[in-house]
Amino acid sequence: MRSTRIAVYGLVTLLACIYLMPLLVVVLNSLRSTPDIFRNGMIGLPHGLEFSNFTEAWSGLCIAEHCTGIRGYMFNSMMMTLPATVISTFFGALLGYAISLWRFRGDMWVFGIITLGVFLPEQMKLVPWVLVLRDLGLYNTVAGLVLIHVIQGLSFTTLFCRNYYVGIPQELMKAAKIDGAGFFRIFWRIVLPLSPPILIVTVIWQFTGIWNEYLYGVTFASGDHQPVTAALIALAVTVSEAPKYGVQSAAVLIAAAPTLFVYLAGGKYFMRGLTAGAVK
Amino acid sequence: MKAARRSPGEVLPLLAIWVPVLVSILYVVGFTLYTVWIAFTPSTLLPEYGWVGLKNYVAILHTRNWNIAAANIVVYSVCFLALTTFLGLLLAVLLDQKLRGENVFRTIFLYPLAVSFVVTGVVWGWLLNPGIGIQKVVVGLGWTDFRFDWLVDRDRALYCIVLAGAWQASGFAMALFLAGLRSVDADLMKAAQIDGAGPLRTYRRVVLPTIWPIFIAVFVILLQFAIKTFDLAVALTGGGPGISTVLPSMVVYDFMFQRGLLGRGSAAAVLQLLMLVAVLVPYGVFRRWQTLKAARNA
Amino acid sequence: MNPISRRSLLAASGAAVISQSAPRLARAAGKPRVTVITQWSAGSDGAAITALGELFTKAGGDWQHNPVPGFTTDMMNKLRAQILSGDPPAVSQLKGPEIAAWSKIAPTVNLDADVAAAGYEKVVAPELIKLHKPFGHWISLPLQVYRINSIWISKKAADKVGVTALPKTWAEYNAIGEKMAKAGIQPVANGGTKWDNGMIWEIALSGISPAAYRKAVMELDAATLKGPEVLAAFEQTRKMSLWMDPNTASQHYSTFIPKFMKGDAGMLLMGGWVQGVYKKAGYQYSDYMTGPAPQDNGKPAFDLNADAFIFWQRKEPEFTAGQHLLAKLVMEKDTQKMYSGITGSLPVRTDMDLSDPTFSDAQREASASLAAAVKADQSVLSLAHNMAQPNQITAAMIDSLVEFVTDHSISPKKGQERLAEAVDNVR
Repeated sequence: MRSTRIAVYGLVTLLACIYLMPLLVVVLNSLRSTPDIFRNGMIGLPHGLEFSNFTEAWSGLCIAEHCTGIRGYMFNSMMMTLPATVISTFFGALLGYAISLWRFRGDMWVFGIITLGVFLPEQMKLVPWVLVLRDLGLYNTVAGLVLIHVIQGLSFTTLFCRNYYVGIPQELMKAAKIDGAGFFRIFWRIVLPLSPPILIVTVIWQFTGIWNEYLYGVTFASGDHQPVTAALIALAVTVSEAPKYGVQSAAVLIAAAPTLFVYLAGGKYFMRGLTAGAVK
Repeated sequence: MKAARRSPGEVLPLLAIWVPVLVSILYVVGFTLYTVWIAFTPSTLLPEYGWVGLKNYVAILHTRNWNIAAANIVVYSVCFLALTTFLGLLLAVLLDQKLRGENVFRTIFLYPLAVSFVVTGVVWGWLLNPGIGIQKVVVGLGWTDFRFDWLVDRDRALYCIVLAGAWQASGFAMALFLAGLRSVDADLMKAAQIDGAGPLRTYRRVVLPTIWPIFIAVFVILLQFAIKTFDLAVALTGGGPGISTVLPSMVVYDFMFQRGLLGRGSAAAVLQLLMLVAVLVPYGVFRRWQTLKAARNA
Repeated sequence: MNPISRRSLLAASGAAVISQSAPRLARAAGKPRVTVITQWSAGSDGAAITALGELFTKAGGDWQHNPVPGFTTDMMNKLRAQILSGDPPAVSQLKGPEIAAWSKIAPTVNLDADVAAAGYEKVVAPELIKLHKPFGHWISLPLQVYRINSIWISKKAADKVGVTALPKTWAEYNAIGEKMAKAGIQPVANGGTKWDNGMIWEIALSGISPAAYRKAVMELDAATLKGPEVLAAFEQTRKMSLWMDPNTASQHYSTFIPKFMKGDAGMLLMGGWVQGVYKKAGYQYSDYMTGPAPQDNGKPAFDLNADAFIFWQRKEPEFTAGQHLLAKLVMEKDTQKMYSGITGSLPVRTDMDLSDPTFSDAQREASASLAAAVKADQSVLSLAHNMAQPNQITAAMIDSLVEFVTDHSISPKKGQERLAEAVDNVR
């Protein structure tokens, strides 16, 4: 038994090291100066620690006329990501619940079509979204971006929640219905308390997906209302010039911080035994 | 809706369900039909509303890029799905062993999803580049025969995208599996253990069958990942060496926006969706057959 | 959620609910104003456009730049979206034959009077006039020029094999290459991006015969595409591709600059922008040799790349005033000196004095060669940088070229056939 534990820890640690490899390169580069990187190669240990990359990325860096770093862009991303994540997760849970536990005529068709939504490529949807947002008067607004991410996100959140909720025993539902509980009452009292693991999964998915989205972010937002990915791309994609890899790496780490925080903070919602507790 | 005859308490759930459902369906069906329609038009930089029949499809099917991309996506999807599902499940089961520091490990396996794909693609490009990355480091350590040059090998570069893609997506598969594992009734597991089943047996006989619907969610998510793989591949291989690793999403983007041929790009997008239908329809038929068989046996 | 959903329902079902976009903030009436969309946001490109904006503001204008960081296609997506929603920017970045293509989808501004007033047409390379005056009227203005056919030789590598002068012809180039290969130096320094690979062939052909380049690449003349000069360019490209670092995937050329400067790689074919990279890494002018790429007919040739602004028609008088003000500024010598001074490019005007310390010797030499090449009728437009053909043709040609460069089993003859085929398919 003990040797199995050691083997488990050993394997997890080995895998963790492999997964961390690219991050290590980014972290090391975030501490290197630009001449150091260009002279000594893209992968290497820092010659002296250069923390100025972080301050420059956070508050000094110029995106065209605006030399205020990425902090403003972080705020823009937050204003878009938070509402879109919350709304799409809520409706996804509701739809998943309705489809899996509150069966109705044609529910499998509805589920099938909504699920197909996850397969539509971003490139294909760009022009239709321009037309829809234009006709709604939401072009170049945060509300427009939130709307896009909510509607697209529903396909994912519904899929996750539905496939999780089918695992909830039907007896629970029956008992509640006999007690006279209605649609929302069962949702609040029985389904939601069982949901933390899947809700954190949908939040992780939506939060990271929306946070890292770029194509819509730059097409549907203007100038200093653009999301943080616009700033990251400004640092990463240069045709003729070479990117400043040090500042870029620092910016990437800063931009990833909110998502990493969600992952860490979401940890406590991954607990076992909730179902068992509810049945008793 | 028959709302008028119902009490407010019943109308609200109906609204709460049907409004988002209708919006979703309109979005999926509407956008798909729009693309199908544009594929029949001579649209170039902007959507135009003429009719050119199948001309765009004929043109796309005669493009080398598309043909290479269509073959690549099959190989890529199969490898990516297999590797990522395996890794995701492995990681979930490992993390389910009440590990110390589970939270940290989970974050480590999830972080690839959090970091800008464009940048991690570039970093993977360095790591997999034999001249500056892993190969160089290992050779430098004294193992001079070590070779890991898939990235610059036109027949193997695609597998580099598989590796980077699996690295990126397996954490999410793990999270979904873990959520599923955590939903399994603890009593069930205990009962199995009392019956003398070892841990492997418990997983195979008790746990995996219970979380079967989660597998479907994982497959769907990974399949859409595979089909949509874009940023990572662009940053990692840019479709190269040559055009040996182009993927359909890159061809769609290339034709729609780089070449400014919306009609032709839409035709490529429709073909991409048709490839998906070719996978999903047999699956749907299979499920239908299974349910019917189950009903007959019952 | 409710009102939005109902509205999106209408919109998605195809009902045309045409509503005006939200009213913009009221601005000081009458002040000349421009809204600008470009992809220039970081580095020297970002600094240069910012300086241009400051100049515009100082001249009494209201400058509103909306950068779209990323690839040119991302900028074009934004432009397309703005045009579709009936709100085109007053000015946007666009280059090459795309100017003509895009000018068909939305009305542009006629700048003929501005150009005539500045006497500008006399001092611009004729190849550029055709691009920016596509249907007989000036609707766009070039902003800066780069020479594609520049060669850079690592000083350390040159010293190792005793090379003291730049190769003037491809034969000389090949002789140096062989010397370097024998000395264990990678003769060709390269990156692996598509435009990088395509550019090598382009420089080879324009160096063998600018006239053939013009006919084959710019006019897509079928006979020339299948002719001996193009075949010679494929042969030269094959030679160079065998001398390239096999370990480049799609890495940016700058990834391999350290190797080049250490003398492990010898010769780089690249536009003048590479100087910015050298500078950032702390290298000196003495670390490399530079000049025009080999030219077999001995006369100066210039493979042009130019960035430009296109002016979109707007009804508002303050926009019109702003557009004419910006046009005037862009054509001025001081503006061009300022802009090229920041980015390391060359001024568009061929009548500039570059003795000013803002410019480097490399810029002076290249700028002089532009004027000389124009005189010798040997200025051509770059394929890999989207100057010679509309994007759909460029992309098809570049695809076949990068396949040739990376797949050594394709013979030059076969490569030439494939290129001709690719052109026939999109013609």
